[in-house]
Amino acid sequence: MDSEVLFLFLQQGIASGIVSGSVYALLALAIVMIFKTSEVPNFAQGEVFMVAAYAALFLIVFYGLPMWVVIPAALLFTVAGMMLFEAGILRRVKKALGEPVNLVIATLGLSFLLRGLVRQTGLGDTPRSFPSLVSTDPVQIGQAMLTRLDLAIVGTAVAVMAAVFLLFNFTRAGRAMRALGMNPKAAALVGIDIRRTHAFVWGLSGLVSAISALLIAPKILMTPEMGHVAILAFAAAIVGGFNSLPGAVLGGFIIGIAENLVGLFVSASAIVVTPFLAIMAVLVLRPQGLLGGRPQMRKV
Amino acid sequence: MPELLSLRDVSAAYGRIQALSHVSLSVPEGAIVALLGANGAGKSTTLNVISRLVPQSGGEILFRGASIAARASHEVVRAGIAQVPEGREVFREMSVRENLELGAHLRRDARGVAEDVERAFAYFPVLRERYRQRAGTLSGGEQQMLLIARALMARPALLLLDEPSLGLSPLLVQQIFGIIRRINEDGTTILLVEQNVGVALGCSSYAYILENGEIAHHGPSASLAADGAVQNAYLGGH
Repeated sequence: MDSEVLFLFLQQGIASGIVSGSVYALLALAIVMIFKTSEVPNFAQGEVFMVAAYAALFLIVFYGLPMWVVIPAALLFTVAGMMLFEAGILRRVKKALGEPVNLVIATLGLSFLLRGLVRQTGLGDTPRSFPSLVSTDPVQIGQAMLTRLDLAIVGTAVAVMAAVFLLFNFTRAGRAMRALGMNPKAAALVGIDIRRTHAFVWGLSGLVSAISALLIAPKILMTPEMGHVAILAFAAAIVGGFNSLPGAVLGGFIIGIAENLVGLFVSASAIVVTPFLAIMAVLVLRPQGLLGGRPQMRKV
Repeated sequence: MPELLSLRDVSAAYGRIQALSHVSLSVPEGAIVALLGANGAGKSTTLNVISRLVPQSGGEILFRGASIAARASHEVVRAGIAQVPEGREVFREMSVRENLELGAHLRRDARGVAEDVERAFAYFPVLRERYRQRAGTLSGGEQQMLLIARALMARPALLLLDEPSLGLSPLLVQQIFGIIRRINEDGTTILLVEQNVGVALGCSSYAYILENGEIAHHGPSASLAADGAVQNAYLGGH
């Protein structure tokens, strides 16, 4: 491979990696914000992502609604669903059998429920494509080729990340969420409404997942299995440090870029193993993840 | 003096283990009341039942004459009861400033909050020096001070203090209790849980002694301090 081709591949890999990475990053952000406050890895995050896209498709196919109605409706539906799951099911499971493994199983249950729900509508029988709001005209950046849609995806994703960052660091609700994640007992004692804050985190996580789903949906074929992308988001969260929001974002971009570079330089069939190699490399070299804090001793 | 807080026949259990049975006590407005007893006697549980971190299984808790049994923990804080928990329950990754601001989480009066930060500095000058530092990097004594200051940021009528002397040097204990007295003189009623009996009886006006989840003895602190039998039986003969 001569150096010119190498340089071209490098540019293309990084550019495409940033596009897919931005979606992984959003989904990882959604997973980590729940893990930080509820200490539950939400294994239904991928299905939540999938359902958000299908909810939008449902409104388009069956009701022929315009996009400016469909998008807010799908976002709202996802947020409400997540809050309902947290308040209606997870809280009860926690109260009845407070062990983390039961909470994890509850999220697995949710993932099956959501996939069943989508199959029930009949929309999942064949792969579907989602209409794109932005044209897929090509755009050249350096020597890399992207589409206008790709740029819109990255732009929106980065804006959402910035909004989440501002929310967590500079608002009262954000500070309450951080406090709850850091020390639930102290959070209760300073007067934070624990239940409301949990519901808020789950709702926010649903919102971020739904946005990432609507961003990527026009680029992929939709199937009820599309939630498998959450595995990459989990990989991103582990690479970045499972308790770090900036880490989730960094991990998302790393996984996205690594996948694309491996696809271009090695082979397309090696893409699948890339995230796991990245996880292993990080776990060996820096077990807490790139931006993860020092592992804390936990009082029992 | 009018009664600010009273517990009547309060019981609580962790699963099947009875932690409190029929605890009754009364905290008059303006007083420092001590709650003493050995490790595991139920002192912290009593405070956590009042703060609604532990559910009660029976009895009545009245604050300013109204029951707080059905309230959530944040509503108790809003009603005017703040707890300084045992141990070092600061928000470790946040700055001293953010810890103090979180103490005022339920308040909307920015000016009043700013005044109270200054008041906290007056009690604990070292917090001014540590203002931008992460709370997890403070020494044990400084974290204890931060915890008290954080609880005061809610402008509570009643302060619940859980073992403020734990793990501190004698000199620091003296200093902290001096400040606790000042806080009380400035108008905050205090319910104090302590293992350091001498210090607790010295600064309180009335004391209750818990044994195995029950009130075994109570009386004015001065007379408990003078009562040799009580000292030997419950308080390790200090």
